[in-house]
Amino acid sequence: MTSLNRRSFLAGTSALGLAAIAGPAFAQQGFDFGAPMTDMPAPDGPLRWLDSGDQKGVFFREFLANYGEARGIETVYDGLPWVEIATVVPLGVRNESAPDAFALPLDMPPAVAIDQGWVQPLDDYIPDIAEWRAGFPTGSFIEGVNMRDGKTYGLPFTSDRRSSTLLLFGREAMALTDYDPSPENPLNWDEFRTAARQITENSGGSVYGFILGGAQVNRWRDAVLSLASRAGAHYGVSGFVTGFDFSTGEYALNSEEVVAAVELLLAMRDDGSTFPGLLSLNAPQARAFTAQGNAGMILQGPWNVPLWEANNPEFDFGFTWTPAPEGADGKTYVNTLPSAANMMFLNADAKNPYHAAEVFRLMGTVEGQTAWANVVGPSDPAIFPAANEQAEMSERARAVIALQEQQVRATPVPYSASTGFVEVARAFQMPTPDIAQTVQGLFAGQLTDVQGELDRLNAAMTDALEAAIAEANAAGADVSREQLVFEDWDPTTDYAG
Amino acid sequence: MADAALSRTSFAPPRRREAWLSPRARRTLVSIVLAAICAVWVYPIVWMISASFKTNGEIFADSGLIPDAPTFDNYTRAWREANIGQYFFNTLFVTVGSVIITTIAAALMGYVLGRRPIPGKTALMGLMVFTLFIPQGFTIIPVFELLTSVGLGQSLWGVMLATCGHSIVIFTFLFAGYFGQMPKELEEASRMDGVGPLKTFWYVMLPLSKPIIVTVIVMQTLQAWNDFLLPLVVTLANPDLRTLSVGVYSFRGEHFIDWGGMTAASAITIIPIILLFLFLQRYFIDGLAGAVKG
Amino acid sequence: MSAYSDIPPPPDEARQRPLGQRLREHRIDYLFLLPGLAIFGAFVVWPLFAANWFALLDWSGFDSRQVFVGLQNYRDLLGDEFFRAAFVRSILFTAITVPLQMLLGLVLAVVLNNRLLKLSALFRTMIFLPVVTPVAVIAIVMALMLSPFNGPINDLLQSTEIVQRAVDFLGSPQLVMWSLAGIYVWKWTGVTLIYWLAALQTVPDELYEACKLDGVRGWQVTRYVILPIIAPFAVVIGLISAISALNVFPLIQATTQGGPFFASEVMEVFIFRTAFAPPSGTFPQLGYASAAGVLFGLAVMGLTILQVLAVRHARRKEPTNG
Repeated sequence: MTSLNRRSFLAGTSALGLAAIAGPAFAQQGFDFGAPMTDMPAPDGPLRWLDSGDQKGVFFREFLANYGEARGIETVYDGLPWVEIATVVPLGVRNESAPDAFALPLDMPPAVAIDQGWVQPLDDYIPDIAEWRAGFPTGSFIEGVNMRDGKTYGLPFTSDRRSSTLLLFGREAMALTDYDPSPENPLNWDEFRTAARQITENSGGSVYGFILGGAQVNRWRDAVLSLASRAGAHYGVSGFVTGFDFSTGEYALNSEEVVAAVELLLAMRDDGSTFPGLLSLNAPQARAFTAQGNAGMILQGPWNVPLWEANNPEFDFGFTWTPAPEGADGKTYVNTLPSAANMMFLNADAKNPYHAAEVFRLMGTVEGQTAWANVVGPSDPAIFPAANEQAEMSERARAVIALQEQQVRATPVPYSASTGFVEVARAFQMPTPDIAQTVQGLFAGQLTDVQGELDRLNAAMTDALEAAIAEANAAGADVSREQLVFEDWDPTTDYAG
Repeated sequence: MADAALSRTSFAPPRRREAWLSPRARRTLVSIVLAAICAVWVYPIVWMISASFKTNGEIFADSGLIPDAPTFDNYTRAWREANIGQYFFNTLFVTVGSVIITTIAAALMGYVLGRRPIPGKTALMGLMVFTLFIPQGFTIIPVFELLTSVGLGQSLWGVMLATCGHSIVIFTFLFAGYFGQMPKELEEASRMDGVGPLKTFWYVMLPLSKPIIVTVIVMQTLQAWNDFLLPLVVTLANPDLRTLSVGVYSFRGEHFIDWGGMTAASAITIIPIILLFLFLQRYFIDGLAGAVKG
Repeated sequence: MSAYSDIPPPPDEARQRPLGQRLREHRIDYLFLLPGLAIFGAFVVWPLFAANWFALLDWSGFDSRQVFVGLQNYRDLLGDEFFRAAFVRSILFTAITVPLQMLLGLVLAVVLNNRLLKLSALFRTMIFLPVVTPVAVIAIVMALMLSPFNGPINDLLQSTEIVQRAVDFLGSPQLVMWSLAGIYVWKWTGVTLIYWLAALQTVPDELYEACKLDGVRGWQVTRYVILPIIAPFAVVIGLISAISALNVFPLIQATTQGGPFFASEVMEVFIFRTAFAPPSGTFPQLGYASAAGVLFGLAVMGLTILQVLAVRHARRKEPTNG
């Protein structure tokens, strides 16, 4: 690739709002694709790839193009928002126009896609697949998630060991407070609240202490669930196990930790230290206001780091743990170690299954993982720890990954207890309002009774789970609530199964 | 109606008093007030166009409308990297095709419903009225399945045809109303001359309905140009087939937004429509006037 | 062709002849109907039938499993407070925006209809601009315009001391529907303006001349001459405006997604949320969403029929206005 091409590529990626990569050098140049993994059949049309875009778009647009050049196949990459994936993948599968490789709609259990015959195992295409799998860290392949009956379905190429609620702050704003937080010296809840108030007061109202993309309801869920889990609550964080405590077998959404976390946010609102209008901001807008110095602190994910480094080089910012109450030091949780959202699957009707599978295989090598980590840094960390170590990224980015290694743990996975829980996931109807909407409603003032609303939500979740289990059993799932109790779960470590 | 209105005016007390401004001065005053209103009215769009000449950093930096260092990068990027050129022609294809099909189909149907006492007419019109009020947002799946089953699930022809469905009912009613009030003698004369029905329609009726045709062209163009969900779903498998509105949308990422590129792409998208409106507005307004007269 | 050349007999006579014969007489007419009927059937009627069928299913929309549940979805909907709230909000939104938009459009149309106004075409185009601007762009621009933090509108309100604290137009549960109504009216008044201008073209030129001779001028011409003539168009324009106000979905989806906490969730957002974008961890309920669409469609149709009947009734009382 000539430097001219590379520059125009960079321009193009920023055209897609993906300027994040401008910082780290592009190590994709001269990626060695090696010899074909097997006798590759002649291409049948272009190799097509569909995922949810963003960083993946930055990487795969070029990686696939280079791969295509090396193997003599045309490639087409598409990155779409999740809402579109939810419509387009099922329709595409039905009319046989789905791409060779695709991501599943968000929250669709892979097992459903397998049952429906949308996807096929990689075993027939990747030679020595067991050896390839062994290169991944433990917990990357989970029966009932990306494995089924010993066959490998999903490619787990990124790690979900990310906290979307790290405390990120502008140093200029933090200088207005009595605190100097760092990963070694996190803020507790009281300090967090005081810092927010001091920023607002001491700046004379030109900077507000705390911001959050409050129009995006999932931000409320993430903020409250992780603040509460830092206080010591432990539970699943998405789907039907949202707020479900695997050690007791009960939902914990009305626990004192969750109530206290909500009340912390309400107190900050009443202090006047939350950004005016945060209820009409989405996450990118909230991020922009932070980098412009209009807001002091934000609870956000590691992907902010390369973004700010690239787009706001003059912005001096720090990061630390999600705040915990004084004396507490809980972890925050993800449902599985590999990111389920980024997992890629092979279309059952793929026109070019060998080529797609070969790209999958490459993404499961240290070289492929390093190329990935070079592009995305801490945003979507490579699942191979070695790749993150080798990759070029800023010290700050590396420190963010290290912090998350300490703060984030994977919970047990219901599907590994019984694949019958796939039926439960299918039947489960999340109550309205759910946890995210409830917190937003409390913050907006449409709901007022914190404990009462959370009690109601917890009861509604329990009813919904009971109903879903009953429906699943009627469909022959043979599961029970007891199977969701994992007595050997130690919430301070990744659940190994 | 005019008579009724006139006779009414005679009841109005004629108040003669000297105008405090000459008509001309008053027009100037009105123009100034209007100009102010319009300036506020279009401010957001002017802001958007101004943003399309700024870098992403500058857009957020709360600068004025005039860019510090105007840049065309956003436009070249939108046009080239985001494939706006190709999308432009796809959109044009879909728009022109759907305009032709809709106009002819609606004219034919409106002609029959407006003038010919065919059996089943009332039932058909009743059904059409019913459909006017059903929200259409969730019908995308059946539409898509239908296109797929006839092999158009992945082609611009499919988009074009399905786009015709959006407003055909309203257009048919416009034509029906217009044709319905035309004198009966028109067909009789043609029949005397020995001209067949198709020719009568094509050479006599259609030219007479020019006002409606213009109306339908503009309305359908607006529709096709802005249509979003349908082209998105149909052209997913083949990005080369995307339309402009889908292309503009694909600028949006989940984690960050390229405001400059997006505003530039939007500006490219709206310019043809603005030109179309500027040139056709006289016909459009007269056309609508003709349409509603009946 | 011979079928055509028979001018159809008057209706009362026609009714007495056998249906078969009448169908044959009109075979060319039916041929004419074909293209339109094909499009109407395929892209309007068929999806409606399909939606009505989906409404009887427990179905996610992408699962191959469809369970027939009869009227259960309808029963559930009637007990769903969010459905009811969205329903009411849609009706209110329409009831607020349509009159506003029509009044504003009318005033502008009357002013801009003046042929002596040299810049009239330019002004019209400017008012029309928002109509052709994609909703996705409008959403972004408006979020910045209305922002409580350094947004131009709040800056203005604060510097003139109309308000003390910045107003969160899109984030306040009490204000959000009003703000959306404002954006909506801004975006679509251009179309209403055109409709009214069209209506004004039906006022004969001689009438203006007559007024001049009678010494009637300015506001009086408008009030006593023009308004009575174009008043009947209000029904049509109102109807078209109401239909589009019920389809406010893209605007709300692009700005607030129905939030905060459902405060701006209108019917179509409700349908979209249940059909395509359920909360994390839930499968979509296409059947349920379809049932909501059908119920809402029926209700709107009912309201429309009532409205049309009322107008007719009013007209019958005032025969001179025909």
